Formats: sequence, C-alpha cells, structure tokens
Amino acid sequence: MKCEQYEELFAGWINGELTPAEREKLDQHLIGCAGCREELAAMQQIWDVMAEVKAPEPSANVRVKFQAMLDTYKESVQDQKSNWDGIKEQLSRLWQWQPRWPLAYSLAILLIGLGCGYLFFHTGKGAEQDQQLKELTSQVHELKQTMMLALLENPSASERIRGVSYTSEIKHADKEVIDALLATLNNDPNVNVRLSTLDALTHLANHQEVRQGLIQSIVQQDSPLMQSAIADVMLKLQEKRSVKPFKELLKQKNLDPGVKEKINQTITQLI
Amino acid sequence: MNSLTDNAIMLRVKDGDLDKMGLLFERYHRQLYGFLFHMTYHREVSEDMVQQVFYKMLRYRQTFTGSGQFIHWMYSIARNVLKDQGKRKQLQMQAGNAEQLADQLPGGITPEEQLEKKEARTGLYRAMEKLSDDHREILTLSRFQELKHQEIAQILNISEVAVKTRAHRALRELKNIYINAER
Ligand SMILES: [Zn+2]
Repeated sequence: MKCEQYEELFAGWINGELTPAEREKLDQHLIGCAGCREELAAMQQIWDVMAEVKAPEPSANVRVKFQAMLDTYKESVQDQKSNWDGIKEQLSRLWQWQPRWPLAYSLAILLIGLGCGYLFFHTGKGAEQDQQLKELTSQVHELKQTMMLALLENPSASERIRGVSYTSEIKHADKEVIDALLATLNNDPNVNVRLSTLDALTHLANHQEVRQGLIQSIVQQDSPLMQSAIADVMLKLQEKRSVKPFKELLKQKNLDPGVKEKINQTITQLI
Repeated sequence: MNSLTDNAIMLRVKDGDLDKMGLLFERYHRQLYGFLFHMTYHREVSEDMVQQVFYKMLRYRQTFTGSGQFIHWMYSIARNVLKDQGKRKQLQMQAGNAEQLADQLPGGITPEEQLEKKEARTGLYRAMEKLSDDHREILTLSRFQELKHQEIAQILNISEVAVKTRAHRALRELKNIYINAER
C-alpha cells in the first residue's frame, strides 16, 4: 500500500504544520487518490466540529482555593525555617483562644435537628405538628443567617470565608444578608475573603440589588486578582452595564498591565 | 512584571519568591483546567487537579531547571496527577455527561443552527469519551490546547514522528466512532 507513507502527513496537513515541500508531496498524491482525499476530508470535518467544543470555564472557587493553598504552603515553609519561632507562636496562640463560633453553630443546628426528630415521633398529629415543624425550620434558617452575619465580623479571615460560604445554605437571601455581603466585598482587608464573597454573590445574581452592587464594586477594587475575577463574573453574567465602570477603571494610572488587557477584552466581548 | 517569561518567573519561585506562583496561575490555570477537563469530563475533579498541579509545582520547584519550557514541565506534572488519580479511583466518566456538556456551551444564532450545533457537539463528546486515554490526550493537546507537534513530543517524551503517527491514528479513530454513531 503506497498510501500509508502519506498518512504520516495527514495530521500535519490538518494542523497546518507541513513544510511547503511536504505539502506539495501530499497534494500530488491527493490528485490521483480518491481514497486519501475522502479520508482527509472526513478528518478535516471532525477537526472543525472539535472547534465547537471548548472546556467550560473553571469556577471562581479555583482562584480562592489556589490562594489559600499558596498561603498555607508559605506558612508551612516558614514553620520549617524557624522551628523555635514556631513554638513561640503556637504558645502565644494558646493565650488568644476565642469562642469557636462555628462549633457553637453546629451544636445549635444539631439541637434543633434533635428537636424536630423528637416532635416528629412524639407529638400529636396534624396541623399542630406542622406548625411546630415550620417554626423550627424558620428558626434554623434565622440562626444560619445570624451565624453568617456574626462570622463576617470575625477577626480571622478563614472564619469570615466560612461565613460567606454559609450563604449557599440560606434559601432566601434578604436585604440584610445582601448588604453584609456587599460590604464585605468592598471593604474586607483580605483578598481571599473578597474573592469568596464575589463567588457567593455571583450565585445570587438573580437579585437586582446584587447585580447593582457588583457593578458599583468594580471601581472600588484595587487588587489585580479581584479586578480580573470581577471581569470574569461580568462576562459570565453578560452584564453590559459594567462596561462604563470598566472604562472608568482603565483610567487608573497604576492598573496592572495584565488586568488592563483582560478588561479591554471583556469590554470587547460585552459590547 | 507581565513581560517576564514563564521560565524567569518560575526560577524566581524556585529561589523562594513563592508569591510569584500567582502570576503563573493567572496565566495558565484556564488552559490547565481545559486539559484536565477533556481528560476527565468532570468539573470538580478537574478543579481539584488544577490545585494539585500547582501544589506539586511549588513543592517540587527545585526540580525545575529552566532548560525546557515552563508549560512542558507543567503538563508533565499534570499527566502525573492524572495517572495517580486514575490509579486511585478509576475515574469513570459520567453517563449522560455528553448532552449536559453540550448544553452548557454557547449555541448558534437561529434555533435550527443551535440544534445542529448541539447535536454535533453531543456526538463529538460521546465519541471523545470512547477514545483511549492516549488518543484523547493527543487530540486534546493538539486541538484544544493548540500545541505544535514538536511541543507535544516534548511533553509526552516521544519523538515527533511518533506524535504525528499517534495524532493521525487518534483522529482516524475519532472520525470512525463519530461517523458510525451517526448511522
Ligand atoms: Zn492514497
């Protein structure tokens, strides 16, 4: 079979990687060989279909997790470097012990859960029981919300991230929750917290005030990480109203060049 | 800062400036995710693996010599992570994933076009799922990651001729599966 020696060129032909000489050689063969022509055309066709399937975008979580991993890793390297310093630090941490909010939260949920179970098996039937269950459910919901709001005030960044993550459990985000999240998005000193807040808010983007808040937040962010994350979100939401604040952001003198490029791209894709 | 080459940045990381890894993450996490996604067709697993790859690059930063390209090194580590993961729990592709994935991508302009595109994609995903790992890998690298044969040869540590042969066989197999499924 003479054709086999040409097959080696097929992948390069489709890929556009053949040298002019190789191309010439293959073209000459194709003129006289219908079999290879057909084969190559079919391959080209599937190659074109492949252009239609791109991988989806990773979620904003990927960035948060990376930053957390990097921070943890840096800490562990630091610890190895200075064992004695590490011990001293651990000792001092012992003195800074604070009430563990998340633990209290879990316990409270557990207790209410037990209460529900108890009611379910032990109380009377019908409307009364339904009513009690409803009340308990709404209490759980309220507690979660209170918990989350309290955690957002916690001095530890990881606790605040935990607080933000509770929003996914809150079914109806009310104004108080949304306001707290938006305040965190704009004012939290820790970029990881702000990133997870952005992620949480993205899931609540069906609320008009969340969208408004996100758009207003664009010019308030000064970290390149946040600026590029928020550009991703606006693109995902196809939020054309963000074009104006993005243009505003582009005017900033000390804007990171990478971010600048990204925002320009985002604007082009949005218009 | 942004004009620094990948290799220069990675060498700084190697020297202890660990924060610089953030720049490489910004440059490559999407591309890496795309590769891992096509190798697993599983979103969460792919995100976890992105994390693992960056962790390993930090942890084994001393093994980066700077003689080759940074991304070739990154892909080798990603392939190792895939191998480990495969050994540990035999990643099974989810049934019915193809349609779901095809749905999530932007469609054409008219409804007919949208349907046509969706069908083509679903068929392609189904066919891709049936390929062997080697074949799916080489097509992912050349088509989705848009790498040249010579670069793929370095990543896979095989000759360029072997890459061309494998790429051809993979594409032929994909085409056959795709066409047979249509009938
Ligand atoms: Zn022929």
